[in-house]
Amino acid sequence: MGNDLIRKAMDDLGKNFSKGKPLEKLHPLYEAIDGFLFTSGAIARKAPFVRDAWDLKRVMVIVVLALIPSTLFGIFNAGYQAQNALGLAHAWPDAVLRGLQIVLPVIFVSYAVGGFWEVLFACVRKHEINEGFFVTGLLFALTLPPHIPLWQVAAGVSFGVVVGKEIFGGTGMNIVNPALAGRAFLFFAYPAQMSGEAVWYGVDGVTRATPLATMASVPAGTTGVAALHQAGYTWSQLFYGFIPGSIGETSKLACLIGLAFLLITGVASWRIIAGCVAGLVSVASLIGFLHVKTVHPVLPFEWHLVLGGFAFGAIFMATDPVSASATRLGRWIYGFLIGALVVFIRTFNPAYPEAVMLSILLMNIFAPMIDHYVVEGHINRRTPRAQAK
Amino acid sequence: MPTVIIQKGRDIPLKGRASAELKALPLPSECIFPFLDFAPRQFRLLIKEGDKVLVGSPIAEDREHPGLVLVSPVSGAVKHVNRGDKRALLSITLSTDGQQTPVQHQKFSPESLIALSREAVMEQLLKGGVWPFLRQRPFSRTANPLNTPKSIFVRAMNTDPLAPDLDVILNGVEREFQAGLDVLKRLTPGNVYLCFDAKAKARALTGASHVESVAFSGPHPAGNVGTHIHHCDPVGKGDVVWFMEAQDVVRAGRLFLDGVFYPSRIIAVTGEGASLRSHVKTVLGASVAYVLGDKKDDALRYISGSVLSGSDVGYDGGVGLFDAQVTVIPAGGARKFFGWLMPMFKDYSFSRTVASALAPQRDVSLDTEVHGGLRAVVVNDLYDELNAIDVMTYFLIKAIYGHQIEEMIRLGILECAPEDFALATFACPSKVDVGAVIQRGLDMIEKEG
Repeated sequence: MGNDLIRKAMDDLGKNFSKGKPLEKLHPLYEAIDGFLFTSGAIARKAPFVRDAWDLKRVMVIVVLALIPSTLFGIFNAGYQAQNALGLAHAWPDAVLRGLQIVLPVIFVSYAVGGFWEVLFACVRKHEINEGFFVTGLLFALTLPPHIPLWQVAAGVSFGVVVGKEIFGGTGMNIVNPALAGRAFLFFAYPAQMSGEAVWYGVDGVTRATPLATMASVPAGTTGVAALHQAGYTWSQLFYGFIPGSIGETSKLACLIGLAFLLITGVASWRIIAGCVAGLVSVASLIGFLHVKTVHPVLPFEWHLVLGGFAFGAIFMATDPVSASATRLGRWIYGFLIGALVVFIRTFNPAYPEAVMLSILLMNIFAPMIDHYVVEGHINRRTPRAQAK
Repeated sequence: MPTVIIQKGRDIPLKGRASAELKALPLPSECIFPFLDFAPRQFRLLIKEGDKVLVGSPIAEDREHPGLVLVSPVSGAVKHVNRGDKRALLSITLSTDGQQTPVQHQKFSPESLIALSREAVMEQLLKGGVWPFLRQRPFSRTANPLNTPKSIFVRAMNTDPLAPDLDVILNGVEREFQAGLDVLKRLTPGNVYLCFDAKAKARALTGASHVESVAFSGPHPAGNVGTHIHHCDPVGKGDVVWFMEAQDVVRAGRLFLDGVFYPSRIIAVTGEGASLRSHVKTVLGASVAYVLGDKKDDALRYISGSVLSGSDVGYDGGVGLFDAQVTVIPAGGARKFFGWLMPMFKDYSFSRTVASALAPQRDVSLDTEVHGGLRAVVVNDLYDELNAIDVMTYFLIKAIYGHQIEEMIRLGILECAPEDFALATFACPSKVDVGAVIQRGLDMIEKEG
């Protein structure tokens, strides 16, 4: 059997990494590759003697699979937009080829540089390499503009992995979503490359405002929807994703396919996503209903849903169980506030049009506090009997 | 009679159920008396190798409570004393003489039991060797004779995978069972809760009197004593409740009615690795090998108890004194190529991330493989779905890791025992042994008062 040969080769190789051997310090790297190729085979020594077939690797693989539709569409769309801007053929084979040239380096750098930090920390700390990075590496790449300079990808993913995660102890201990931490770092450190009108095509002289940027500069007397239409954006374009934008976020349809997969497999918390949608819909409706004075034009909620990174953020970012609330009620509150904040920032904040990233990061910070009050409520319910006498 | 419906939890449809047939095994030539079943209590031996014993002869007494004795389940001689590190008592091996001559204690008529004094009941239970089968919560250990429990629970159901059938166990012992319930009633000013399966048919259960009968239905852990206590009379700071397995209630009843220690135990022989799967009646301390009647196979794991809460005693080990089940499953542990990437049509999971979740699973074959390495907790909303006790498991774990004793108590750790979290450990994708963490928390509380 070929597998047995590989197993034997791995075992032989492994001897070089054992205690006292020259490559001892790199043992976590060997272990990661070994664990990547083969199941661990470890046996339960005490009860419970049987265990579920899934593990964290499986969970992460499911999330990566759920990101595949967004990734594929992102590749196509990056090429499509670039070919369009150059006035070249934009039939799908051309667009896909061009898109692969644009997007693959970004994903590759994200995985390579982020993976380097993971391995380094695992080797220094002498623990196993955590497969959470499978998700972070791709997630981070998908939040980036397609034509971002690759050194910025490296800088961003380094910040996300090291400051966003590793200094807190690694996957499971982080306070904010590491991919978003990296994205926010780039957003504030290199604003010229991360937003504005020139970054989306990678072609000198070709600019077009993204739908969100359009919303940030609507002339007086025009409604938001009219302004978007004037800029050439229709609702269905925003939904299907044939628009400039970050790699993974433009197609809401692709995000929804991913969502369906996450919900069928039960990996993502539907409460968080439902909370996000509920928060966004209710605040958008409330603002429209109350006719309050706003900085940016008021949009109906169905436009807010397909605008910017909301779908991508709510489905893939807000649902990271480590940085989200861990209680049921807390998840509703956490999701609701993310949705609400998105509309507030989009409507009232003059500085940043992109609200989803900031809303999720802010709520990541508040998630422990939400949980604290939910847990205290639980304890108070228990107290009469727990402290009786 | 109230019925408690348990919503949370799940049954693992393991392969290898025991038939409802009950076979009486002849007396084995040897039996093993394990002291570790009573940990952390420490015992002083009252006999030495070569001594003759009768059924009910004291063989060891508790170092803290000298009246609390463990008694021999067989008549014969002490063959060997097994000690571990620092001469800790592990077990003793007794050879049997085939006579089963008992030590005689006082007999009582069934009608007189309900009028006995608490002291008289305690004295007979302690002297007769049935006391050690009475355990307490919190901390899941032998009941302390100096305490007065606020209530006593009789666990007459079991929802563990391949659990023994209480209808088989309690068939034809109505009189003895009721006598046992009556004496337990004398030990507490509160209630004796008789907790059984809503589908139970045994007349010993449906016709029991002088107790609060509570039926439970729903998936595992509906049959755990922790679940019963939580739903009937939860323990808080300073509370103590006692509990006893239904089989041992029969033992208590016989001690009063017949005046002798009743040494029998009915055990369900289960698991796909056992060739003859049925209920067998044998003596306490019979070895796994004897109960199975199979040849040893190194590719199998021999578990006393269930796969969720049992212990790996090995082929030659004795069946645990509190276990009414032996489970034999394949050891497993072959390393599979790209296992995590495969669709997994055959692997069992509570989650829906495996292809096998597409169809309902019956008679699944599980081995002892862990299926992954230890990671930090990521999927943190899973545990509470599998626990019938209303605690916030993830936050309890955090409090334990943070040594926050006051917080642990507020979160309800005193209601918990490791076995109540067996399903959480089963299902955790980070492979965290949740029960072991809970045990650590309980140990911290004991140590620091």
